[in-house]
Amino acid sequence: MRNFARLALVALLAPAALADQVNGREVPPGTPTTGVKLHFLPDYDSLPPLAKRGDSSQGWKIHDMKRPLPRQVAVPELPSQPAPADALALFDGTQASIQANFVNQKWKAKDGAVVAVHGDQTTRKAFGDCQLHVEWRALDANHPNMCNSGVIFMGGRYEIQIMDSNPCNVIPADGGAAAVYGWMPPLVNPIQPAGKWNTYDIVFHRPRFDAKGACVQKTRVTILFNGMLVQDNTEFPGPTSWDQRLPYRAHADKLPLSLQDHGGGVEFRNVWVRDLE
Amino acid sequence: MKNPTLPLFLALLAPALAAGVCAAPAFAEPPLEQRGMSSGGFRQHDRNRPQPKAVEPGAEVSVPAPADAVVLLGKDDAENAKQWKNAAWTQKDGVMTARKGWQVSAQSFGDCQLHLEFRVPETLKDRKDQDQGNSGVFFMGDRYEAQVVSSHPDCNKTYADGMAGAIYGQNPPLVNPSRKIGGWNAYDIVFRRPRFNEKGECVQKAVMTVFLNGVLVQDHFELMGPTSYMQRAPYAKHADKLPLQLQDHGSPDEFRNIWVRELE
Repeated sequence: MRNFARLALVALLAPAALADQVNGREVPPGTPTTGVKLHFLPDYDSLPPLAKRGDSSQGWKIHDMKRPLPRQVAVPELPSQPAPADALALFDGTQASIQANFVNQKWKAKDGAVVAVHGDQTTRKAFGDCQLHVEWRALDANHPNMCNSGVIFMGGRYEIQIMDSNPCNVIPADGGAAAVYGWMPPLVNPIQPAGKWNTYDIVFHRPRFDAKGACVQKTRVTILFNGMLVQDNTEFPGPTSWDQRLPYRAHADKLPLSLQDHGGGVEFRNVWVRDLE
Repeated sequence: MKNPTLPLFLALLAPALAAGVCAAPAFAEPPLEQRGMSSGGFRQHDRNRPQPKAVEPGAEVSVPAPADAVVLLGKDDAENAKQWKNAAWTQKDGVMTARKGWQVSAQSFGDCQLHLEFRVPETLKDRKDQDQGNSGVFFMGDRYEAQVVSSHPDCNKTYADGMAGAIYGQNPPLVNPSRKIGGWNAYDIVFRRPRFNEKGECVQKAVMTVFLNGVLVQDHFELMGPTSYMQRAPYAKHADKLPLQLQDHGSPDEFRNIWVRELE
C-alpha cells in the first residue's frame, strides 16, 4: 500500500520528474529525457546515511545517488550467440536443461526462455574461473522493482547486477545493469529497452586464498554487455553486498552459480558456461 | 667399418629428411636457443609446443556496431574507403580484401575495443602452415599483433604461438576456436596501450583480452613488448595514439564489419 501511495505522489510530480533533473541528478549525454520512468525503489530510501555506508569504488560510498551515471549508448539487439562445443549449456530453452542443471524446479521454460520467479535459481554444478554467457530481458518497462535480478558467482558471493536501468536515473550508478553490485558501475550503459534481449559475456576469476585464509588474489571480472566492454578486469573489494563492505573470507574453489529472483520481471534464455581452470 | 662414408652420409641426410617431412618453410628456422622467449617457458614459434585444444565455436554471428563506435568497415563502400589509407586493398559490398602493402587506418587509436571479422579464402587451402592465410591485426602501428591465419585443425597446422587467436610469438590462444577455411571468424579485442615515463621506460605493459568467435582466447595478457618473429623486441616509447594496421603477408584474406570504440 505504501508503494501505491508513493506512486501516486510521484505521478502528481510527473511534469517536474520528466525534466532532466529527475531525482536532482544530471542526466548523462545520450540519455532519453522524455518518457523517463517514474519508478522508485523504496529500498534505496531505507539505506543509512552515506557516512555510515561502506565504500564503493573511486572514492564514492555504496549506492550514492549523486554518483555520475554511465553514459547510455544505443546498441542494436544482438542475435543470440550459440554456445561453443566445450561449453555446458546450462539453459538451452528446454525444461530438460533446467531439470539437469538447476536446483529450483519452479522455474518453467516457455518458448525457449524462462522467467525468474519463486526464488533464486542455482546450478547443480560448481564453478571456479569461468566464461559465462547469459541472455536476459526485462519484461515490463513499468515493473515496480525495475526487474531487479542478478548473476551471482560462488554461492551467492559476487554479483553482477541485472536491472532495467533504462535509463538508470532513479537508481544509483553502482546498482544498474552490469555493475559489480555496490562497487563499480559499468563503463557505459548499452542496455536494451524492456522487451528486447540483452547479453552478458562474463570472464570471471575467483579469488585465491593462502593457507591461512587470507585473500592473495581478488575476484575479478571482464564483461561485454551487448558486445560492449563495461567491466575491464575489475577487482572486487570482497563479496558484493547491500550497504556494507564485506571482507573476503576463504571459500571453496568451486561453488554454484545463481540467477537472482528479486521481485520478478526478468526472463532468461541461452545460458552457457565454459570452465577456465 | 666396411663403409665409413655411410654413417656420414646418413648424418648429413637426416636434417634434410626431417625438414622435408615436417613441411618446414623454405628457409631454415633458427635453432630454438637463438630465439626470443614466448610465454610458458617456451621459445618463440616452437613447433613442439602443445597445440591448444580445438573447440568448435557456435554458429557465425555478426555483431553490429554500437552507436559510439567508429565504423572502419561497414556497409557503405564510399565511407569505408575514407577510413583506410592503402587504396590497393579492394573494397566491395563491405568486404575488404588484402592486397599489396599494409592497410593502415586513417584514424589513430590508443586504448580501444575492436571488433573485426576475417576469413581466409578457400582458394588458399593447398597452402601450408603460416602461408595459409597469414595476416594480422596490429595495434599502434605495426607493434602489437593478434594473429590472423587459417587455424582450424582440419585445414592447417602451425606453431601454437602463431595461430589465430595468438598474440604473435608471445602467447598461444587458450583454446583454438577457429573456423574452417572459408568461414568468417570474429575477433573482439580489448586493447590497452603501454604507458611510458618521461625517460621512455615502459611503466605499464600493453594488455590484451581477446575473444575469437565468442570464446575467450587471451585473458588480460600482458605483452612482453612489440610482437615479432624469432626475436624479442623491447618496448620502445611511442605515441599514445597510432593507426590500426592490417598485415599484407601474401594472402588475399577478406575482412568485414570492423568497428572500434575508444576507451580513453
